Amino acid sequence: MTEQEALKLRLNAVHFAMLDLHLYLDTHPGDCNAASQLEECRKTSASLMEKYESAFGPLNQSQQNTSRWAWISDPWPWDM
Amino acid sequence: MWTYEKRLQFPVNIKNTNPKLAQIIIAQYGGPDGELGASLRYLSQRYSMPYPELKAILTDVGTEELAHLEMVGTIVHQLTRNLTEKQIMDGGYGAYFVNHTNGVFPCDANGTPYTAAAMQVKGDPITDIHENLAAEQKARSTYDNILRMTDDPDVLDVIRFLRAREVVHYQRFGEALRIITDHLDDRNFYAFNPSFDRPAARAVPVSVSMPEALVSTAQEGTSSFVEAAPGFNRSSV
Repeated sequence: MTEQEALKLRLNAVHFAMLDLHLYLDTHPGDCNAASQLEECRKTSASLMEKYESAFGPLNQSQQNTSRWAWISDPWPWDM
Repeated sequence: MWTYEKRLQFPVNIKNTNPKLAQIIIAQYGGPDGELGASLRYLSQRYSMPYPELKAILTDVGTEELAHLEMVGTIVHQLTRNLTEKQIMDGGYGAYFVNHTNGVFPCDANGTPYTAAAMQVKGDPITDIHENLAAEQKARSTYDNILRMTDDPDVLDVIRFLRAREVVHYQRFGEALRIITDHLDDRNFYAFNPSFDRPAARAVPVSVSMPEALVSTAQEGTSSFVEAAPGFNRSSV
């Protein structure tokens, strides 16, 4: 596994954890422990994202990314 | 509104062409218990859902189902992208191929186009959440059946992930059902429909033609429609 693939895998894992915590918090909005876990994941995601994008270019997952070429370029997710 | 993230929720990298398997897995793209139906069901049920936690869970699970739809479409695409004419005939893929070539069409395993007839939006919170609990189990059973029919590890990993998500969604909808009943009278959860039988949904405006006795209860904040609802017991409110 390349360094790029490994970083992407970690990002995927963190984003999945964030989604799952987000769903849990829909039905448990008062759970402070889960809310702080989500906050931790957000921090991890932000630092991993910065690391990835500075080394391998934009991931097209942020509003800040304005590179038209990166957005339209192959591969699209189903072509990996 | 929605925005698109240019990635799959879980990676799909299938190396081996397998049209037979694609024809089975497409059931979860456009079939009766598939991801398209799941997403439309939850996103459509939101409008008549009165409680904030429920609006949130329907929105977020409905959105995740769209990500699953994309994953299932990707599986079908990757299982058929390098098809040869011989594989089409040998794999029993001729009927699908003549209609859709190697496009991914929302249909079930028999090729029947997607239909909303297999789902319900009842406009009654308890009924709709039971519909969703059943839908998650039907999807889980379908993934169980798919797991019986393949040993390709590239496919197994993805299907196992999708199956696990059905179980998590079932859990969340179970909690959602509890949140609904917490708002209702535990002596009769079915006394009225909290989405419809409330003052704003009053059948007849109070000022028009309501008998004296009902006007006084309506002014206490109780809907006249609720008074008349079947099985409704005034003393249980």
